[in-house]
Amino acid sequence: MKRINPASIFNFTSIFNFIFSLLLPFVLGAIVVALLGHDPQEALRELFRGAFVGRLSLGTTLQKWVPILLTGLAFCITSQVRYFNIGVEGCFYMGALFSAGAGFLITGLPWYFHIPSCFFAGVLAGSVWAAIPGVLRVYWQVNESCSTIMFNYVAIQFAGFMIVNPWSAKSAASQTMPILPSAALSRLMPPSRANSGLFIALALYAAVFWIIRKTRLGFKMRSTGANPFFTDYMGIDSRRVVVLATALSGAVGGFAGSVETMGVYGNIIDGFSGWLAFDGMLAALISKNNLWLLPVYSFMIAALKTGALGMERFTGVPKALIDTIIAILIIFLSMDNLFRFRFHFHFPRRKSEEKAR
Amino acid sequence: METLSNIVTYSLVHATLRMSTPVVLATLAAVISRQGGITNIGIEGIMLFGAYFGFVSAWVSGNWLWGVAASVVAGVVVSAAIGIVHLKHNTHIFVIGFAMNMLALGGTRFLLQQMFNVSGALLVDKPVTLPILRLSLAERNPVTASLFSGYSLFELLAPLLVLGVWYVLYRTAAGLRLRSVGLHEPAARSAGIDVYRVKMRAILLSGVFAGIAGAHLSMGYSSMFVENMTNGRGFMALAAANFGGGNPIYAFLGCLVFGLSDSIAIRLQSTGIPAQFVLMVPYLVTVAVLTSAMIGHSRRSDAARIARKLTEEIQGKEIRGKANEKGKGS
Repeated sequence: MKRINPASIFNFTSIFNFIFSLLLPFVLGAIVVALLGHDPQEALRELFRGAFVGRLSLGTTLQKWVPILLTGLAFCITSQVRYFNIGVEGCFYMGALFSAGAGFLITGLPWYFHIPSCFFAGVLAGSVWAAIPGVLRVYWQVNESCSTIMFNYVAIQFAGFMIVNPWSAKSAASQTMPILPSAALSRLMPPSRANSGLFIALALYAAVFWIIRKTRLGFKMRSTGANPFFTDYMGIDSRRVVVLATALSGAVGGFAGSVETMGVYGNIIDGFSGWLAFDGMLAALISKNNLWLLPVYSFMIAALKTGALGMERFTGVPKALIDTIIAILIIFLSMDNLFRFRFHFHFPRRKSEEKAR
Repeated sequence: METLSNIVTYSLVHATLRMSTPVVLATLAAVISRQGGITNIGIEGIMLFGAYFGFVSAWVSGNWLWGVAASVVAGVVVSAAIGIVHLKHNTHIFVIGFAMNMLALGGTRFLLQQMFNVSGALLVDKPVTLPILRLSLAERNPVTASLFSGYSLFELLAPLLVLGVWYVLYRTAAGLRLRSVGLHEPAARSAGIDVYRVKMRAILLSGVFAGIAGAHLSMGYSSMFVENMTNGRGFMALAAANFGGGNPIYAFLGCLVFGLSDSIAIRLQSTGIPAQFVLMVPYLVTVAVLTSAMIGHSRRSDAARIARKLTEEIQGKEIRGKANEKGKGS
């Protein structure tokens, strides 16, 4: 993966680009809001208040940040080996499903054994689920961007089956039985659903950062991404590295699902995710696999999503508008040289140079 | 046995064509962009926009032709945006494609709420649909009626369009240029082909087909607009294009397999198999078909495996060589 030179990030044009790409979608959104007959200034204020002001708002933003950060991280891991993993959503579902299963099927354990075993179930399910398309890719060159997306749908349907039939709570809404209290993560800001999964997620982020940058496995992964043939020549089986990377990515995706189950919902509701992993993937895409920028962008998306709820409640501006603005934001942020400023300085040639020619 | 004979009947032919046509039209879009070396992942979003604008403008104007025209225009506009962002501003096609899919999802939801004040699905009293072609001669018998009559317009046009795209890709100069750009861009550029223009044309043309696919989805396949009604068909189309290796005729056969599995799956529902497993079938079949195609394909030409074998050979020689040197020294 191309390492980004700090000097190239922090030059004038790119900062200008960044600020304008950030502002332009909001200006467009404000125009649309004004055309709909609402007050854009008030909508913006409610957007901000809904995301940050108050325990409930801030807590909800933090709660939404965790899965977006983790699924984005899962996407970044496989990007290191040039594997385009769209299947994080499936791992997310599988992780949530199996940690919920472990949450109410295993009984009689104290919390310090129960929580890790639930996480283990989710992580294992996610990594196995992600490794299947990885194996298909390395041994038979099955295009992963197609197979992983199909696996998403399969995972969603499978989770739907488990939720409705064997693990059903037998209530009106299709949901599983609630997990036992010994498997639940503690809440941080009581009215909101922010939970201690936040700290585990941040620790996991740091660990993955360390793995990619500082360990032998990380080196193998980056080397495979740069040139798989050369990696083979060095004596490292690039195929095994790709499968390992997909498994690791699936583990992180499954972990994100576990946090959702054990920290936020307490069980799984059919269709609880709503393609949440795609938000994480987009955060990873606009940070261009730069692990430093990933938390920033994922936090921004989480804040926008949370603020949209408050904005819809208080001003009547629909939430779908924010989804549209996020999409436009991503397009602008990902474009190189959207606003290009060139400064041409024409120095008059010196006479001596003219003569020399 | 009785359940099997209930599932496999003559009406399966019509059902297969019906289920596969939206994917076939999207597959043409995927094939064209794939031949130009672009995995156009935004087809899903283009289809959704096409479905929305086609359905709404057909309903407003009362004429299906205006609906199809609006779908095509929507498809071209969206794909032009994709093309400009991808080709001019160096954005990865996956980024812009996924952003477009998201934009289509949020945008159509927003438009539904603002224009019709509904969420979820748009049902109208008298929806305008694509014409259904009936043969009065075949209508007399239920079997021939099912086999030869009652097809929607694009269900009959789709195979012809497949042949047309195949002809353009493999028998015309423009198709040759497009394929050469997809195969090796620097070589095409050094042969004097304007790569940017060729790629842009391919993206625009794929937008046309994806728009038509959307129009068929909301006006021919069903007669309403539902949020996220494409439901992964754009991605299935990409899988089908991969399966055919860019050849529209093989890709068409792949689509028929999806359509067949889809229509069998619907019939399986009456036998008591849980609905979720039934809904899984087309996606699993897609992966299976893709894998089987690639296993066959990789036997024929597998650059990676050849390279790996060569590497192993060279490494083996080196190790042997070193051993020989050591042997001489002692």
